[in-house]
Amino acid sequence: MSAMQLYTIVGAAIFLLALHGLLMTTDSIRRLIAVNLMGAGTFLIMIALAARISPPDPVLHALVVTGLVVAISATALALRLITSAAIAQHSQDSENKGDGDLSEDVKP
Amino acid sequence: MTFELMPDIILSTLLLLMAWGALYAPTRHDAMALFVAFGLVVALIWARLGAPDLALAEAAIGAGLTGVLLLQAARLLPAESASTEHRPLWFRSSLLFLLVTTAMFASMILNNNSLQLAGSGISANVTADSASLPEMVAAAMGDSGVGHPVTAVLLNFRAWDTLLELLVLLLALTGVRQLYPGVNRNQQAVANTIEQTWPLLLAWARFLAPLLVLTGGYLLWRGADGAGGAFQAGAMLAAAAVILRLTGLLPGLSWSSLLLRLAVNIGALVFLSVALATLMFGDGWLVYPVQWAGALIVAIEVFATLSIAVTLSLLVVGEPEELSA
Amino acid sequence: MTYALVSLSVPLFCALLLTLAGPKLDSRHAGQIAIVCSALSLVAAWFALMQMAELNQTILLELGGWESGLAIRLRLNPLSSLLLLFTAFMHVLIGVYAAFSRQGVSRDFWPLSSFLHGSLAALWLSADLFNLYITLELLGLTAVAMVALAGKKAYKPAANYLILSLVASLFYLLGVALIYGRYGSLDVVLLSLQTQSDLLTRIALLIMTAGLMLKAALWPLHLWLPAAHANAPTAVSALLSGLVVKGPLFILFLLWSEVAPVDLAQQIGPVLAIAGMIALVAGGLSAMRSPYIKTLVAYSTVAQLGYAMMALGLLLTWQLPQMHVALWLFVIAHGLAKATLFLAAGEMQATLGTKRISGLRGATQTVPVAMFAFAVAGGSLIGLPPSGGFLAKWVLLQPLLSEPQNWPWAFGVLLGTLVSAAYIFRVVAISFDRARINPPDIRPDRVGHWLALLPALMVWGMALTGDWLIQLLAGSSV
Repeated sequence: MSAMQLYTIVGAAIFLLALHGLLMTTDSIRRLIAVNLMGAGTFLIMIALAARISPPDPVLHALVVTGLVVAISATALALRLITSAAIAQHSQDSENKGDGDLSEDVKP
Repeated sequence: MTFELMPDIILSTLLLLMAWGALYAPTRHDAMALFVAFGLVVALIWARLGAPDLALAEAAIGAGLTGVLLLQAARLLPAESASTEHRPLWFRSSLLFLLVTTAMFASMILNNNSLQLAGSGISANVTADSASLPEMVAAAMGDSGVGHPVTAVLLNFRAWDTLLELLVLLLALTGVRQLYPGVNRNQQAVANTIEQTWPLLLAWARFLAPLLVLTGGYLLWRGADGAGGAFQAGAMLAAAAVILRLTGLLPGLSWSSLLLRLAVNIGALVFLSVALATLMFGDGWLVYPVQWAGALIVAIEVFATLSIAVTLSLLVVGEPEELSA
Repeated sequence: MTYALVSLSVPLFCALLLTLAGPKLDSRHAGQIAIVCSALSLVAAWFALMQMAELNQTILLELGGWESGLAIRLRLNPLSSLLLLFTAFMHVLIGVYAAFSRQGVSRDFWPLSSFLHGSLAALWLSADLFNLYITLELLGLTAVAMVALAGKKAYKPAANYLILSLVASLFYLLGVALIYGRYGSLDVVLLSLQTQSDLLTRIALLIMTAGLMLKAALWPLHLWLPAAHANAPTAVSALLSGLVVKGPLFILFLLWSEVAPVDLAQQIGPVLAIAGMIALVAGGLSAMRSPYIKTLVAYSTVAQLGYAMMALGLLLTWQLPQMHVALWLFVIAHGLAKATLFLAAGEMQATLGTKRISGLRGATQTVPVAMFAFAVAGGSLIGLPPSGGFLAKWVLLQPLLSEPQNWPWAFGVLLGTLVSAAYIFRVVAISFDRARINPPDIRPDRVGHWLALLPALMVWGMALTGDWLIQLLAGSSV
C-alpha cells in the first residue's frame, strides 16, 4: 500500500461517511458541514491521484483550486439562505404569537 | 505496512475521527469546531502530498473562512431542534452498508492497478503512443507564457474553467446580496463583530493581517514561476481582510460605491474582454499571442486576485448596509 | 463557431454589466438591456444554427489553440446549436413577459437571468467533463438565487434545493475524479475512444449518473423539484422547468452516449427507460392529486421528464438514432409548453387571488386568455397533433409500434399520455364550471395573459418546421 492508495481510500471513506451524516440529520447547518466534508473527501482523492507522479499532476491541482472556489461560494450562499430562512420563520412565528422583537430572541 | 507510512496512517486516523466528530458531535458548536480542525488536518495532508500552495489555500478557505461563516450563522440561528429527532434504527444501521462499501472500494484500489502508476506515465492503460496529460503540460510550458504548471493550466490551458469560476464567485455574491432584506440589520452586525475585542486579539490581528497580505502578494508574484497564483493569493488577502474586519479595524464599504462593484467585477470583466478580443482580433477564443501570453496572464491574474479577495471578504463579512443598495 | 461564442459571451457580458451598474439602474432599464442582449444572442445562435445546418458536421474548438487533450475543448454540432437557439429564444420570451406583465420581477432578476442564459450556453458547448461540472454549479447557484427572489417564504425551499444541488454536483465531481484517475483525460471525445467496461469505470459512471439524475429531478430522485419550482416567482418557475433541468439531462446524455462504452450503455438503457416510464405515471398521478395549480405544473415536469428519460434509455439500449431525435424534440417541446403553463398559472393565481385549483372555477370566463394558453400548452404536453409534443411522441412511437416485442414500451407511453390528459383536463373542466364562478380580485392583466400564450403558440408552430428539425437532429446523432 502506498500513501496515494491510503489517501484515496480515506477520501472515499470520508465521502461516504459524510453522505451518511447528511442523511442522518435534518439540521441545515449540519447538512452543510456534511456537504463540505463530502467535498473535502473528493478533493483529497484528487490530490492523492495527483501525487502519483513526481512532480505532482498540475492539472488535478488546478481542478482542486477551481473546486475550492466553487465550494466556498456555494457554502457562503447556503449559509445566508439558511440563516435568512430561519430568521424569516422566526419572525413569522413571533408575529403569529403577536409579540415582539425578534432580535432579543436570536442573540446567543 | 511499512514504517514510512506511519505518519500518513496517523494523519488518516485523525482525519477520520474529526470527520466523524464534525458529523455526529452532540452540539452544533462542537461540530463546527471539529470541522475547522478537520480542515487544518486536510491542509497538512495536502502539504505532504506535494501541494503546499493548495494547503495554504485550504487552510485559509476550508478551515478559516468557512469556519467564520459557520460561526456567524450559528449566532443568528435559533438553537438546534434536530438533535432530539432520531432516525429509525434501520436507517442508522446503514452505516454498516457504508463500511462494506468502503471496504469494497479499498480492496478495488489495492488489487486493481488501474489507478496505480507505472513509471512516469499516468496509467498503464493509456495507449503507449499518446503522452499523458502531465507530460503534455510539461511539453507545452514553453509557449504558455508562465513558468509554473498549475498557473499555466489555470490561466492558459483551462482558462475557460477559471473564467467560469470567477463568475461562480460573483454569482454567489449576487445571491447573498439579494437576501439581505430578509435579515435584520442589527442581527447581521451582531454576527459580524466580536463584541469587546480583547487587546490581545487586536494586537494579534495587527500582526497577522500584514503577514497575510505579504504572503498573498508573494504568492501572486511567485505564481508565474512557482507554487502560487491568483486564487491562493486572493484567499490570503481575503483572510487578512476578514481578520481586520472582525476585530473592527477595517471600516465597512458601500455597495453603492462604483469602485467596490468594479473591484468585484473586474476580474471576470477583464478575462471575458481578453477572450472576446482574442476572438475578434486574434487567432481565436482565448488564444493568447505567444509573445504577449506572459503579460496577458499576469494582467488577468492581478485583476482576478483583486476580485477574488474582495468578493470572498464580502461574502464572509459583508454587512447589509454595504451590500443592499 | 464564432457565432456560437458570441451567442455565449453576450449574455455573460450583459450579466457582468448589470451587476456593475448596480443600484443606479432601475428594473425597467435593466430589463431592456437584458432582453436586448438575449435577442442579440438569439441572432448569433440563429447564424450558428444556419451554419450547422449547412455544414452538418461537428466543429471542435481547442481553447487557446493547444493540441487536443491538453486544453478544454468546446464543441458545436447541430444539437448544441439548436439548444443555444432554444435557450436564447426562451430567455427572450420569458424576459419580454417579465418586463411587460404587471406581475413583473424585481431588479435582481435580470442579472441572474443573464447568468442563467450564459451558463446554459456554456454547458451546451462544453465537451470537457470538468468544465461541465463548473457549468453545472453555475447553473445550480443561479437557479437557487432565482428561487430565493420570491422572498422570505422561498428561502427554506431554496436552501434545501441548494444543498441537494451541491450533493449532486459532488457525486458528479467524484465520478469525474475517478475517470481522470483511470484514463488521464477529461475530454469527452478522447474518453469515448478510451473507455473500457471495467469495475472502476462502472462505479464512476454510476456515481455521476446518480448525481445528474438528482440534479435533473429524474425519478426517483425528483422529490425536491415541486417545492423549489412551485415556490419560485412565475417567470423563474418557467425558466427552471423549461431550461434548467435540461442541463444535467444533456450531460447525462453525453456521458452515456459518448463517454461510456457501448456495452455498459446497453446495460443501463433499460433501467433508465423503466425509470422514465415510472416517472410518467407516478409524476402524473401526483400532479392529478395536487390541490395547487403551480404544484400540479411542477409535478407535470417530473412526469414529462419521464418521456425524455425513456427516449434516452431506449436510445442507449438499441443505439437507435431516431431516439436521439425524439429525446431532444421532447426537451424543446416541453420547455416551450412548460413556460406557458407556469406563466399562465402565475397569471391566473394573481388575478383570481388563489393558489388552489378549485379556485379556477369559471376561469374560462374571468381569465379567458390565460386559461386558453394553459389549455393550448396542455394540449402539447398530452401530445395532441399537430403540436410539438405530438411530433416528439410520434418520433418516439414509430420504432416502438413497428415491432410487436416493443409494444410494452408503447403501452407505457400511452399510459403516460392518458395520465397527462387527466391532469390537464382536470384543470380545464374546473375552469368551465361557470355556475359557481370565483370572481377575480383584480382586473386581468391583458398584456401578461397574451404574453403567456406566446410560447404555447410557438410549440404548436414547431410542427411546421418538424421535418427540418428531425433532419437536423438526425444529422447530429452520429
